[in-house]
Amino acid sequence: MANAWRIARKNNLQLPLVIVVALAVVLVLLGRAQVGLFDRARAHATDLMAPLLVKVRGPVAGFDRWIGSIGEIFSVYEQNLKLKEENARLRQWRNVAIVLQGRVNRYQALLHAVPDPQMNRVLARVIGRASRPFLQTMILDAGRGNKVLPGQAVMDARGMIGRIYLTGQRTSWVILLTDLNSRIPVTIAPRNVQAMMTGDNTANPVVNLMSHTVTLHAGDQVTSSGDGGLLPAGLPIGTVLSDGAGGWRVALLADAAASQDVEILNFSKPPEAPPATAQLPAEAAGLKPQAPPPPQAATAPPPPAAAPPKPKPVAPAPAPAGAPAEDEDR
Amino acid sequence: MASLERTATPSRFRYLVATVPALCGLLGALIANIPISLLGGLVPAPLLALVPVYFWCLVRPDLMTPAVALLIGMAEDILSGGPPGIWTLAFVLTYALVARQRDSFAGLAGLAAILGFATAVAFACAVAYFSVAAFAFLTPGASLPPVPPILGELAMTVLFYAPSTLVVGWVHHKLVGASRGDV
Repeated sequence: MANAWRIARKNNLQLPLVIVVALAVVLVLLGRAQVGLFDRARAHATDLMAPLLVKVRGPVAGFDRWIGSIGEIFSVYEQNLKLKEENARLRQWRNVAIVLQGRVNRYQALLHAVPDPQMNRVLARVIGRASRPFLQTMILDAGRGNKVLPGQAVMDARGMIGRIYLTGQRTSWVILLTDLNSRIPVTIAPRNVQAMMTGDNTANPVVNLMSHTVTLHAGDQVTSSGDGGLLPAGLPIGTVLSDGAGGWRVALLADAAASQDVEILNFSKPPEAPPATAQLPAEAAGLKPQAPPPPQAATAPPPPAAAPPKPKPVAPAPAPAGAPAEDEDR
Repeated sequence: MASLERTATPSRFRYLVATVPALCGLLGALIANIPISLLGGLVPAPLLALVPVYFWCLVRPDLMTPAVALLIGMAEDILSGGPPGIWTLAFVLTYALVARQRDSFAGLAGLAAILGFATAVAFACAVAYFSVAAFAFLTPGASLPPVPPILGELAMTVLFYAPSTLVVGWVHHKLVGASRGDV
């Protein structure tokens, strides 16, 4: 055996280890510079695996739910009481919300407010989940064929889960809000605090405030701010909670581990096009502009009807001795 | 016995047999990265692709070459969806470590063999973690990756070492080992 190892070590046909290590380092740097280096291969592999994933999804999801619910068996009664109480409270809030929504609609009509952009929604099923040390993702059964594009928001019934970051023809990958690479601009109600929500692979993303003079309170509502135009504003995300060390985190409303069907929001603000022709402010206001005067270059201008009489030239006073002589043009 | 094993594999299959370690590594990467979570994402998937790399680096380094380790690492990178090149670098450097200390690793048996493999996996996970952490450190506003997930990956991989080594050993005995003298 030892002889065989020595013989193998002398094989000159192998690539030297140093070169392979250098290649690996180059690959890391190249992957850093070209982020989409492996994306096409990943999307293609997922497209190929999609039929298998769809077939095994049912039994695996059942097993997954069974395993995940083991810990909840002993607290079912307490949870039921809490849910009943919460349901009664939410019914009251629902009535309030309906009344307020009607009032907002009337105000918008009175003010001719610009309506919110329309969003197309694609309903997709979760066919895979991956929890790796450096990536937390889920795979959906909708891709470019369903007009799903990178950057679109993914929601479940409760709130935002993440964003599409890679699309194949029939599948797409979602980068979860909890992922290390996730950064979402958010607004924290009721003080309208602007912040950046950053994932760190824990269940509760970190809140990085834009201003250090504001204070937050546990339970404040976190929604997407819409800054940058990639996501619509107002998507429900979660509530603020303290991390116990002076910082703030977000308790997400959505449960990415349990979501089975999700919505992909196709939010694309139409770009503001400039007017076809230059408009004067009067035209923009709906007034007719005055007709331009006709060209008069060929004919001599008529003498003015009442030309003001020329003032008689006044003889200049003799300059005092030593003073500079005035220029005639002045 | 050795001569009988040599004659058991026809010579026309010897190049095919030489690809078995690479195929096992690719299969391990594929199986480990099927995006199906049986435990609700509580634990990460093991690095199954590292088992063939470790095993054949010790037993048949002429078949598990650095280039094959690079290929398997690239497959792990593509299928896992993480930062590109991280697992490629981790696999190649782990291969280098195991190849350098091959006599020490190959002499281990029983629990010590598991500890030897755990050392290799810990090295691979450390390379991957510190590579990602270095990029996070250089990126403004980025936070360092948390340690518990990579420790979970390490634990799961070591946990799966015994059953996956049984499979790899069986494949080696049935396919690769028979053609030891031919390739």
